[in-house]
Amino acid sequence: MASKLIGWLDERTGIVGVYKTVFDRKIPRVNWWFTLGSASLFLFSIQVVTGILLTVYYVPSPEHAYDSVQYIMTGVQFGWLIRGVHHWAASLMVLTVFLHMLRVFFYGAYKYPREITWVTGVVLLLATLGMGFTGYLLPWNQKAYWATTVGTSIAGTVPGIGDFILRALRGGADLSAMTLTRFFAAHVWMLPLVILAVISVHLYLVIRNGISAAPKDDE
Amino acid sequence: MNEEQKRDYQEKYRIAKLRGEKFFPDTIYKDVLVSFALFLLLIGLATFVGVAPEPKADPSDTSYIPRPEWYFLFLFELLKFFPGSLEWVGTAVLPGLAVALLFLLPFIDRNPRRHWKNRKFAAGLMSVIVIGMVALTIRAVVTTPPQAEATVAGTLAERIVAGQDLYAVHCVECHGAEGEGGRIEGVQGLEGVTLKPINSQDEMHTRSDETLYAIIEIGQQTLGMPPFGRAYGGELSPGEIESIVAFMRYTWDDRAEMPRAAEQASTLPVLKPGETPDYATHIEPIVKRYCVSCHRPGKANNNYLMRTYDEVMNSGDHKPNIIPGDLRSNLVRMVRWEKIEAGGPMPPSRPLKPELIEMIEQWVLAGAPEKAGAPATK
Ligand code: HEC
Ligand code: HEC
Ligand code: HEM
Repeated sequence: MASKLIGWLDERTGIVGVYKTVFDRKIPRVNWWFTLGSASLFLFSIQVVTGILLTVYYVPSPEHAYDSVQYIMTGVQFGWLIRGVHHWAASLMVLTVFLHMLRVFFYGAYKYPREITWVTGVVLLLATLGMGFTGYLLPWNQKAYWATTVGTSIAGTVPGIGDFILRALRGGADLSAMTLTRFFAAHVWMLPLVILAVISVHLYLVIRNGISAAPKDDE
Repeated sequence: MNEEQKRDYQEKYRIAKLRGEKFFPDTIYKDVLVSFALFLLLIGLATFVGVAPEPKADPSDTSYIPRPEWYFLFLFELLKFFPGSLEWVGTAVLPGLAVALLFLLPFIDRNPRRHWKNRKFAAGLMSVIVIGMVALTIRAVVTTPPQAEATVAGTLAERIVAGQDLYAVHCVECHGAEGEGGRIEGVQGLEGVTLKPINSQDEMHTRSDETLYAIIEIGQQTLGMPPFGRAYGGELSPGEIESIVAFMRYTWDDRAEMPRAAEQASTLPVLKPGETPDYATHIEPIVKRYCVSCHRPGKANNNYLMRTYDEVMNSGDHKPNIIPGDLRSNLVRMVRWEKIEAGGPMPPSRPLKPELIEMIEQWVLAGAPEKAGAPATK
């Protein structure tokens, strides 16, 4: 019965072929360091799920942002858990992505034929840091406000275009409601979509080229 | 890499795969195990560590020490090495260079060998960079001074209770303990001015939270109401002003229902049968609500401060104002609404409720103890 159903599906979707290329493939024997990529992927999924739940109550305006977060922590059933997980997974994800990069670096896995996998990886690293930077402002508390004031003014010292970058980030000369809505848009729409698209390419390349083998010391 | 090296690599890789394992289930079980461990770790962190509470953003509080998320600390620290006109080297050149190098790494590093032992320069450079980042992060953590502790009122009930305390300190001297207003006595500059009540339904129904917030923040200087917002030279943060507004709204507005938890915390303690009053349980709440507003530094009060037990017992131009066991003590006579050598009746604009006066008398008679069960002071 089950095999008949799969046969029927496969005839129309090619699902068995997809299964074979993604799961049913031979790869070199790998060690635990090779789990860091999938750990990053897992944490990203956690962030998507908890993040979507948070937007149900979060309000991106200076008047209401702080109170809405306060409400999530005290008024919403399990709101504290959702926010707590989102908060900690953000830090953990930066850590796993960075360690994943170091793993790839020290195993020389960025070399032929995986150069493009590496380049997409660097985009993912920068986008992940961007998520951290934009997300930090959203609770609109003292830490958020002042860290972002300093962070954006650092961008303002870039010679020539610094002032332009500063205004583009803040939506004006000072931190304001414009900054908050901008960071919100970047945090929940722009950066996640970039990450999602680039992860797809990244994983396609990982499967296409196969995971590298841990190099032996004569390699 | 030339064609031969590429072919050589592909051949080796083919053999490694032949000797290898199946992605499903041999490899993926490790991935699932690690992800599951991370999941448990996250639940644990969220439950037992949580997210540290922080006060609301206050653009006027320039004394706040900015602190980025931990993974940006190394950058923050790095900038300290590029002061003044060199700043752009730390903010633009170095990070830009690092990102460019990361992107171009596979095209710059043409060494065909892969094991780190055969890539001493690349592996060494990356190690130095990572150690540098960790060292800078540690340096940043060690050198940033601790933040001044700020109390954060989380729930509505906590906000109301915090607001009540703030109201007692900052507003009672003019508006009275219940916002009842009346003739101001004992306040420099406003002596004898009569204030309308701010606890009336008229006031509550015509003033929104935003209006109350603005009045407290900016004041009504032509009428004598001082500004309290930091941006206007006062000493209250936005969170504190919001707490006061919450206190006013939920205590005085008949349309708002006081949360249970706040109600319990805001009622003054009563004496149980046979109990002797002590300072910590019974007297301090009265003093906080009715006296501290004037009896704190910077106010006219004959140098009589009432913030702690010690001050209540031992300060003032006519000290001691409390003599344990003696109902002729200055303080007792003054709250009984007598005018004596040390000054006028206290609190100046209207007497305390009789049951509170009685509580103070019993406490003094019992020897003015500080804590329940503590021996009376001499
Ligand atoms: C130095 C005395 C003084 C202090 C302290 C003070 N006020 Fe006032 N307040 C005034 C005066 C004077 C007015 C003018 C209103 C009047 O004439 O009745 C006023 C008016 C007000 C009004 C009514 C405004 C209106 O038009 O409805 C509110 C509400 C108010 N104060 C709240 C507060 C709060 C809350 C605090 C404590 C943070 C406070 N005040 C501290 C003197 C003071
Ligand atoms: C509106 C401001 C105000 C409030 C509220 C107030 N006081 Fe006073 N208090 C004063 C002033 C001003 C003096 C200085 C004497 C005078 O002018 O009457 C004083 C003096 C005193 C003194 C004499 C101190 C000395 O050593 O000379 C005592 C005791 C005292 N107050 C007790 C109290 C108590 C108890 C309360 C609360 C129940 C209270 N006061 C509330 C303004 C205030
Ligand atoms: C959101 C962030 C990222 C995710 C979700 C992710 C995911 C993955 C996964 C699941 C793999 C499979 C092998 C493994 O786990 O080691 C992988 C491989 C790889 N990743 Fe990433 N990655 C991310 C970021 C990066 C970064 C920052 C880099 C480097 C700059 C990078 C470079 C690579 C390379 C070169 C491979 C192939 C490694 C090999 O074949 O041995 N990735 N990635």
